[in-house]
This record gives sequence, C-alpha cells and structure tokens, in this order.
Amino acid sequence: MKWLQKLITWARIKSPWIIHFNTGACNACDIEIVAALTPRYDIERFGILLKGTPRHADVLVCSGPVTRQIQDRLVRVYEQMPEPKFVVAVGTCACSGGVFKGCYNVQGGIDSMIPVSAYIPGCPARPEAIIDGVVKLLTSLQGAKPAPAIPVNTPEAATHD
Amino acid sequence: MTNEEKIKKELAERFGFSTEQICVGRERRVCIELPYDQFRRVFEHAVKNMAFRHLCTITGLDEGASLALIYHVAHADGTVLSLKTRIPTATPVLQTILDIFPGGLIYERELVDLLGVRVDGLPEGHRYPLPEGWPTGQHPLRKDWKAEMLDGVYPKKEVKSNG
Repeated sequence: MKWLQKLITWARIKSPWIIHFNTGACNACDIEIVAALTPRYDIERFGILLKGTPRHADVLVCSGPVTRQIQDRLVRVYEQMPEPKFVVAVGTCACSGGVFKGCYNVQGGIDSMIPVSAYIPGCPARPEAIIDGVVKLLTSLQGAKPAPAIPVNTPEAATHD
Repeated sequence: MTNEEKIKKELAERFGFSTEQICVGRERRVCIELPYDQFRRVFEHAVKNMAFRHLCTITGLDEGASLALIYHVAHADGTVLSLKTRIPTATPVLQTILDIFPGGLIYERELVDLLGVRVDGLPEGHRYPLPEGWPTGQHPLRKDWKAEMLDGVYPKKEVKSNG
C-alpha cells in the first residue's frame, strides 16, 4: 500500500486548497493574501486554490491576532476541516499577537488557540513571503528539508549585518 | 470678530462662563469645561440654538477620583465644540442624550462597557463593544483594570492536533 500513500501525498501536495480566515486583522495581511492569489504572483502554479468553506480546505490561512470574540469561532472553523489539516499564520499579529498582545480584547497569536504549521512574519507579510512560507510548508510535507534561504546581496542586507 | 470669538462670547454671556473655562485651541476648535449640573442646558443650547447638529463622539477618561467626559459636537462650517464635564468615579451616573442625538447610542454603550458609567435613560439591548462572556463589573478602560483580571475567564478549548 506504500504506493497508494505516495499517490495520496502527491495529490495533496499538488493541490492544497486553502481557506482564508480573518481572526481580527487590520486588513493589510488580507490584502496581501489576496494579492498572492492574483495572476501577478500566481500562487495557483502550486495548485493552490481558494475555497469558500473550511470543509473543502486543507490549509487554513489566518491573518490577525485572535480576538476574544472570534476565538471560539476559529476553533469551530478549524474543527470543520478534514484531516490532515494545516494552519498558516500570516503576519506578525497572527504569529504572536504583535502590537495587540496584552490588549483586553485579544487572546494572542493563532497558536494560542490552534496548532500552527507555518509562521509568516511581516507587517504586512508580502506576497513573496507568503509564497515562500507556503512552499516551505509543502516541501516539509514531502518529507524533504526546505531549501535553505538564498542570501540576498543587497546594500540593505549588508548594512544590517 | 471671528466665528470662534462669537461662540465664546455667546456662551460666556448666556451662561456666565469665565474666560478660563472657555478656550479656543486654534481655528475652529472651541472647548468648554463645565460642571455636570450645567452640562445639559449648555449642550441643548449649543445643539438647538447654535446649530451644532453633529455629534462626533463622546470621549471618556479615567482621572482617578473623577471620570471626565468630552462631548464633541460639530457645526456645518467645520467648527467643533468640545464640552468637557466630570462625574465622580464613586457614583458614575449620567443622563442620556439620546433624546437629542439618537445616534449617540453606541457611544453611550461604550461608556457603560469600557468605563463603567451608568447611563440613565439608555434602552435595554445588546452590550457593546466588549466580547461575549465578558465578566460583569470589569471595565478595561478604568486605570485600575489589569489584564490579569481576565485570567481563566476565556479558557482555551481543546482541539485535535494536526493530522
């Protein structure tokens, strides 16, 4: 049955369907996620397709800190997804709560409620960063190590070293 | 005489405010500090006779022994009149202004939820803007409120791990 398992893994990696869920974002990360889905960045070349319901999705793409009003809804959306499922936290707020950490109406990052598979920092995370994070997640699903980060030789990078 | 000076003069003459009580911060900005028992009369006069027909918002401040409330009303020409009044924190009771501005409902609900003001005349309804399950008696914009007071109120739900 090994070949069947291989086939299933192959099929999953070649067409991960995603659902986008805003857990309290300021809309900046949402715009970047939508931009990543447009033909300009063309995330569909990895077989990624935006779905309208968590029941059809393999990957939950969350943006924003988890507000107390939405925390139970986030768990409900997550539980509706079929196994195996993966969560991608897009943006600094989704990763850790960001500047909203400790607010009276904010629970924290996405991982304060549900397990997260990939963190994509940035305020907002650029479409390139989102694509990079998603590809790293897909590579890790194949059992392979993600490719090491390519050193960027820009004047900016040089001054920050 | 500039428009702001006219407003200042009219309020000073009509209600006997001193010049320290009324300040013109800059062009088109007039502020008055007044005791709460005078507030209603001045507010009604400004809205009904001086054409400040738009309620921008109500600001609430916790100053320790007192809660300060700033009612910002605007004129069609862009002038904003800010009426600042204070009520004691121990007995934070306000009269509603919904008879003048029905749209002030959400601002008054915010005062109730976030600062713990009691607003007489506010109709029954949903709470706003704090989330469901928020403990009664906690008001996050009070200075003595601490985030630790919420510990255990919103328990983390158990979820299935990744497949």
